[in-house]
Amino acid sequence: MNAPFEGIGASMKRKEDLRFISGHGHYVDDINRPGQLYAYIKRSDRAHAELRGIDTAAAKASAGVVAVYTSADLTGIGGLPCGWQIHNKDGSPMAEPAHPVLASGKVRHVGDPVAVVIAETKQQAKDAAEKLVVDYKDLPAVATVTDAVKPGAAQVHEGAAGNVCYDWEIGDKGAVDAAFAKAAKTVKLDLTNNRLIPNAMEPRAAIGEYDPTTGEHTLYTTSQNPHVIRLLMGAFVLQIPEHKLRVVAPDVGGGFGSKIYHYAEEAIVTWASGKLAQPVKWAAERNESFMSDAHGRDHVSTAELALAADGTFLALRVKTLCNMGAYLSTFAPAVPTYLYATLLAGVYKTPAIYAEVKAVFTNTVPVDAYRGAGRPEASFLLERLVDVAARDTGMDRVEIRRKNFIPKDAFPYQTPVALQYDSGDYVSTLDAAMKHADWAGFPARRAAAKAKGKLRGIGMSTYLEACGIAPSKVVGSLGARAGLYEVANIRVHPTGSVTVFTGTHSHGQGHETTMAQLVSDQLGVPFSQVEVVHGDTSKIPFGMGTYGSRSLAVGGSAMVKAMDKIITKGRKIAAHLLEAAVEDVEFKDGKFTVAGTDRSKTLSEIALTAYVPHNYPIEELEPGLDETAFYDPKNFTYPGGCHVCEVEIDAETGVVSVVNFTAVDDVGRVVNPMIVEGQVQGGVAQGIGQALLENAVYDQDGQLLSGSFMDYTMPRADNLPNIKVGTETTLCTHNPLGVKGCGEVGAIGSPPAVINAVVDALSDYGVRHLDMPASPQKIWSIIQGAPRMAAE
Amino acid sequence: MNRFAYASPATVTEAAAATGLVAEAMVTFDESAVLKAGGIDLLDLLKLELLTPSVVVNLRAIKGLDAITQDAAGNVAIGAMATLSQVAEHPLVRGSYPALATAIAGAAGPQLRNVATLGGNLLQRPHCWYLRSPAHHCLRKGGGHCFAIHGENQYHAIFDNHACAIVHPSTAATALVALNAEVELHDAEGATRRLPLEDFFVGPDDDIQRENALRPREVLTAIHLRKPASGTRMAHLRQGEKAGFDWPLADVAVVLAIGPDGVCREASVVLGAAAPVPHRARAAEQALQGRHPGEAAAGDAARAALRGATPLSLNAYKLALFETLVRRAILAALA
Ligand SMILES: Cc1cc2nc3c(=O)[nH]c(=O)nc-3n(C[C@H](O)[C@H](O)[C@H](O)COP(=O)(O)OP(=O)(O)OC[C@H]3O[C@@H](n4cnc5c(N)ncnc54)[C@H](O)[C@@H]3O)c2cc1C
Ligand code: SF4
Repeated sequence: MNAPFEGIGASMKRKEDLRFISGHGHYVDDINRPGQLYAYIKRSDRAHAELRGIDTAAAKASAGVVAVYTSADLTGIGGLPCGWQIHNKDGSPMAEPAHPVLASGKVRHVGDPVAVVIAETKQQAKDAAEKLVVDYKDLPAVATVTDAVKPGAAQVHEGAAGNVCYDWEIGDKGAVDAAFAKAAKTVKLDLTNNRLIPNAMEPRAAIGEYDPTTGEHTLYTTSQNPHVIRLLMGAFVLQIPEHKLRVVAPDVGGGFGSKIYHYAEEAIVTWASGKLAQPVKWAAERNESFMSDAHGRDHVSTAELALAADGTFLALRVKTLCNMGAYLSTFAPAVPTYLYATLLAGVYKTPAIYAEVKAVFTNTVPVDAYRGAGRPEASFLLERLVDVAARDTGMDRVEIRRKNFIPKDAFPYQTPVALQYDSGDYVSTLDAAMKHADWAGFPARRAAAKAKGKLRGIGMSTYLEACGIAPSKVVGSLGARAGLYEVANIRVHPTGSVTVFTGTHSHGQGHETTMAQLVSDQLGVPFSQVEVVHGDTSKIPFGMGTYGSRSLAVGGSAMVKAMDKIITKGRKIAAHLLEAAVEDVEFKDGKFTVAGTDRSKTLSEIALTAYVPHNYPIEELEPGLDETAFYDPKNFTYPGGCHVCEVEIDAETGVVSVVNFTAVDDVGRVVNPMIVEGQVQGGVAQGIGQALLENAVYDQDGQLLSGSFMDYTMPRADNLPNIKVGTETTLCTHNPLGVKGCGEVGAIGSPPAVINAVVDALSDYGVRHLDMPASPQKIWSIIQGAPRMAAE
Repeated sequence: MNRFAYASPATVTEAAAATGLVAEAMVTFDESAVLKAGGIDLLDLLKLELLTPSVVVNLRAIKGLDAITQDAAGNVAIGAMATLSQVAEHPLVRGSYPALATAIAGAAGPQLRNVATLGGNLLQRPHCWYLRSPAHHCLRKGGGHCFAIHGENQYHAIFDNHACAIVHPSTAATALVALNAEVELHDAEGATRRLPLEDFFVGPDDDIQRENALRPREVLTAIHLRKPASGTRMAHLRQGEKAGFDWPLADVAVVLAIGPDGVCREASVVLGAAAPVPHRARAAEQALQGRHPGEAAAGDAARAALRGATPLSLNAYKLALFETLVRRAILAALA
């Protein structure tokens, strides 16, 4: 009887789900250390104010209070570092204002931490925090990018004149201007990408602990990348050397980017636990998540496309204002530049592209990467612009795309905006999506809807993204202050079971399953015998963590490298035992075999020999079977695909419902189809949320109005159709697995498909564009504002 | 949230009296006590410190306050502590007042409905985001300014919105006002009073800091519904951004008494999420009375319902929403 198929390509059920669905997940807030104290952060309720003083006397005298700290107490502590430096058009570095752990001198957004109270219970800390008397002098505030760049706008930082963080460009301006000058047609579109709040299910939390006998600090934190936190906090904020700082990120309940960054609370609890020699725990309440987790998107752009008479794209010109919020979050400057503007070629062979990006400070929560990070902004802009171009030129939306696709034989393809695409076949994903979505049958469905008084529309996006971030040399030259390789340690135990230590981090993605499948497949070890360990700097040699859909492409590749080392060593041991030449020993299905014979040793026999080296080539080989590999990717990898959305609008009320959604993505080799389907569906759910519902609303004074689930409209199951997911594969050409990435495609491909469908549904009303979220309010205004055009 | 004492009296009179209590050691708080039914809205109000009571008085321990009963004449009384789920599923409600059952079944979400009570639903405070934002000391909180009128007012009122533009948050109230329900109130001396629900709600022109006429040391004990005349037809429709777990953008209740000749004798058309109190659309009612209701009458009534609306900068979309819902609700009632 054959063993059940558990390797690459099997839809194995997720190993981790048993503990998650049975309530046995172990999150930071589930951890309690002996003698633990509780921190409560007093946050600014002002968007912008001078911080003239904080009277802590009453809070300090409050029951159970152990300590109250303000910025004045944090001597010798650095500010929160920014991990990416962008340069202005003139070559000067971006404005990089200090980001103090606790606000000092001024508060710059609602939620800015001003003091911390540490007490024996959480409630005591909270009660005492209410007794803090903060003397603010209100200053005028700015909340939107358009207001921030107006002459005379309130200044968020002294060191950033006109609130500009950087004014950056990419591409060949001369070539673009020339192409526009002689183009047969040009199309222009103004659009915004709405501001979003990530809302991971688990709010952030952190526990600091200090062992005076060893001088070792431990930080338990809700992080997507514990080694990065160790590096940033240890080196830049608290000056704790790596060997005295352990960072643990246990089960983490979702991140979507918001848990990549190094946050003030991590430094506060680590520092305070050292000072007090007692563990200190902090856990966010949901309202704190809204005002302290980094937000996402928030762009205002103008996009122009130059076309030849036959619809061939000649040039693209883009101007974007993007919101950094009040301070630079860890990776914020990279998002609207190297994760956005470099993606503006999309799937099209547009020969000339020029983009200018101006990043501005406002009195709002810092903005950083959120699921898709930059790429959804690019795909939304481009896929809306292409639809508008089709409309303005009278071309078919599908044909204009086909005509301009980079053909599948053009790879590797160098874009005019720095990237070199590895592989893709955009026609195949388009064809498959149109077939699954029954694009051809749409007119009949539209007519049927019309008979019921509904406006039905269909829309597509043919998007592309870059993931598997990234070759260290490349990102280094672009301003990254870190390398972006990944690390794997594979330990084959004496009895043949395997532990995989990965520097990536799983916070919902199912790595414990996918990576176990990968190792099971390559080493021929049963799936159940492979354990994946992540999230602890004391166990894992090093790592850069999980974001940008990099875990399998980069972390999985590191595992392949480490397994190659295991196999190489195993072959030597097997050759010794089997008295054969190393070259004659083959490894397959977990067995080392002398080629052409039936003489073989299993991996577990080899492992046992390696750990009990009685009969062993001890002169040449070290005992043990435990290998580590670092893998630095050669390039980004480029998933892409086609999403088709069908909506129905009640013309009388303006309410949109998504009735069909089809996503056909090329994510490279698929290791676990079920997990890929889940990742795509989750991403699409967030994309539909962005397109129809979600919006972070600030008032003009910088107060966050949508600061709770009552006012911030998250999508729910009843807003979503049954999302059909398909895959069409072209392999990544430069990593050993051929994998690309599937974590973000859903959120990148779906918003433009939804809006294109909404605009299509409203085509009778002469609608050309509509910004997200497409609320009933906006749609109704359009319906009212535009006289019905179609005559029938 | 401040510290408070907790009381769990066994009778309504005790509960009413308890709201006059100020727990001994806690006299620093000026507000004395609040009643807790399901606690859904109360918890939010406590967290936001819109309420800082010294005592929270639990109504859950009082027996019989959740009863749903019918008298010999066929009138129905719903105890204030009946949960929204109990009301929506009760055969007496579903049989005689289907619009109420629909309104409640569509409110909030299942977990909330299992805990929230009908009394608490009628007495919940509005969810204007300025009211619930600690940073905005608006008129309703005793401040000098309404932030909504020139601010983010997409969810606000389109009628009676010149001073304060809240919309009444209760979906149950839309249906109950259309059904001419009465509320029964019980005070600390054991006395009771009854008044039409419609008169129980207070608009900003009468008192901008309160939404109802509940007096100190008074408990809402029951909602009374008259037996519907034969030939009564009714419907409730809502439209939200989401199908659940959210207040509606607009909701409409319609109750029509149709005579044997098919003529509409009496009509109630009430708009929820339209005004600071459930908004009775009198012109729409008149447009239906004395007519054979159908498409034409429904359209006329719907247009009439919105006459005189004063939409704000961002909420004119509600006009179309309501017009459509009124027309559809009338047709649904007749269907
Ligand atoms: C996500 C969400 C969506 C929602 N959607 C809707 C919706 O669509 N439609 C809708 O109508 N509501 C909606 N709600 C509101 C919810 O229905 C109310 O909060 C709930 O009904 C309140 O009932 P309760 O029993 O929990 O009241 P409580 O919170 O216990 O009380 C509310 C108030 O009434 C007072 N009180 C309660 N009972 C009495 C009494 N018998 N006598 C005197 N005073 C009393 C309390 O002191 C308190 O001030 C929603 C709420 C949430 C969180
Ligand atoms: S609408 Fe009413 S509650 Fe809202 S801000 Fe204005 S006064 Fe305050």
